[in-house]
Amino acid sequence: MTQSSDDYLVFAAVCLVIAIVLLRLLLRERITLQGSMSYLVFLMVLGAIGLFPQASTALAHRLGFALMSNFLFCTAISALAILHLRALVTLSKVHLRSVTLTQELAILQERIDRLDDQRERPNVVRASPSAR
Amino acid sequence: MRVLIVIPAYNEEAALAGLLAEIRELVIDGVTTDVVVIDDGSTDRTAQVARAAGARVLRLSRNLGIGGAVQSGIRVARREGFDYAVQIDGDGQHPPSELTKLLAATRTEPAPDLIVGTRYTDAANFRSTFLRRLGTWWLRVVLRVVTRTRYTDPTSGFRLYGPRALRRFDETYPYDFPEPESLAIARASRLVVAEQPVAMRPRQGGTSSIFGFSTVYYMMKVTVAVLLTYVRTAGRKEGTDDAIE
Repeated sequence: MTQSSDDYLVFAAVCLVIAIVLLRLLLRERITLQGSMSYLVFLMVLGAIGLFPQASTALAHRLGFALMSNFLFCTAISALAILHLRALVTLSKVHLRSVTLTQELAILQERIDRLDDQRERPNVVRASPSAR
Repeated sequence: MRVLIVIPAYNEEAALAGLLAEIRELVIDGVTTDVVVIDDGSTDRTAQVARAAGARVLRLSRNLGIGGAVQSGIRVARREGFDYAVQIDGDGQHPPSELTKLLAATRTEPAPDLIVGTRYTDAANFRSTFLRRLGTWWLRVVLRVVTRTRYTDPTSGFRLYGPRALRRFDETYPYDFPEPESLAIARASRLVVAEQPVAMRPRQGGTSSIFGFSTVYYMMKVTVAVLLTYVRTAGRKEGTDDAIE
């Protein structure tokens, strides 16, 4: 299972392209640094594997992988699954916060509308259905 | 006794005016009612119709689903110190005159925290579709297995919330298909849940949000949700009587 570094240059180049896209998104403030750091680290690790395949091959052997490609797939899929799970947690938190904010906004807006009504028509009692 | 009538409504302009007119006619001795319509991001004239009928209107800037809408009303009821909140669907399925039965049930012992209007205890009552009855049967089984409690109408949205239920559901209320899941929360939180037979009728306008494939999704999602909710709530310390008091 001897590999030359040329075999993995394409792989490292793809990681570099994705990292550049990620950096562009960061510079344009389309994504936050806090949420992207783990992704950048993931790309750097994959890029290092592509640039230094001998070290990765040795590690793969030690971990019991017969083929370097199996090691790569296993590592990449595991890391992506973790990243996806992390994104899911963040997304769920944001969703719950957005629900609460939507509710609070509606409650406050209704209160402001009522106050405005009272200010504009101080002598008019609101005709609430079935208010006895 | 101050009661807030909470009407979650999504594109219910057709049924809402009639429903609010019926509520306006309602006179219950010793009870002061106020009505709030939760416009759940409607794209029709739901909010305008409700305002024209004199109801308070909470306009959610986006569609949160029935759970998010009901919880908004529960939050209003708690903040404004209402003794009870009553949920009535905006499609006119729940005759407001039946509200008196729910209120009368608050006087039973032990005092219920949550009273659910059930349509399945009276044979002469409005008969829903086969699919709906099948779904209701399945949810009864799920709730019975998970919560060890028998509910005849777990999907009923005609409900009265007492102070302890208002406090509990202000904190947590399920968003997607909340009725069966909220029963699991109530049971795990040791709230007293009672059922009260009421008359119901077909929707007076608009269309149901559950049809076709979404029925299957609904059943799957609710089954998992009831199980998870019960385990989660029962495992929490705040899910005890002491925490709710």
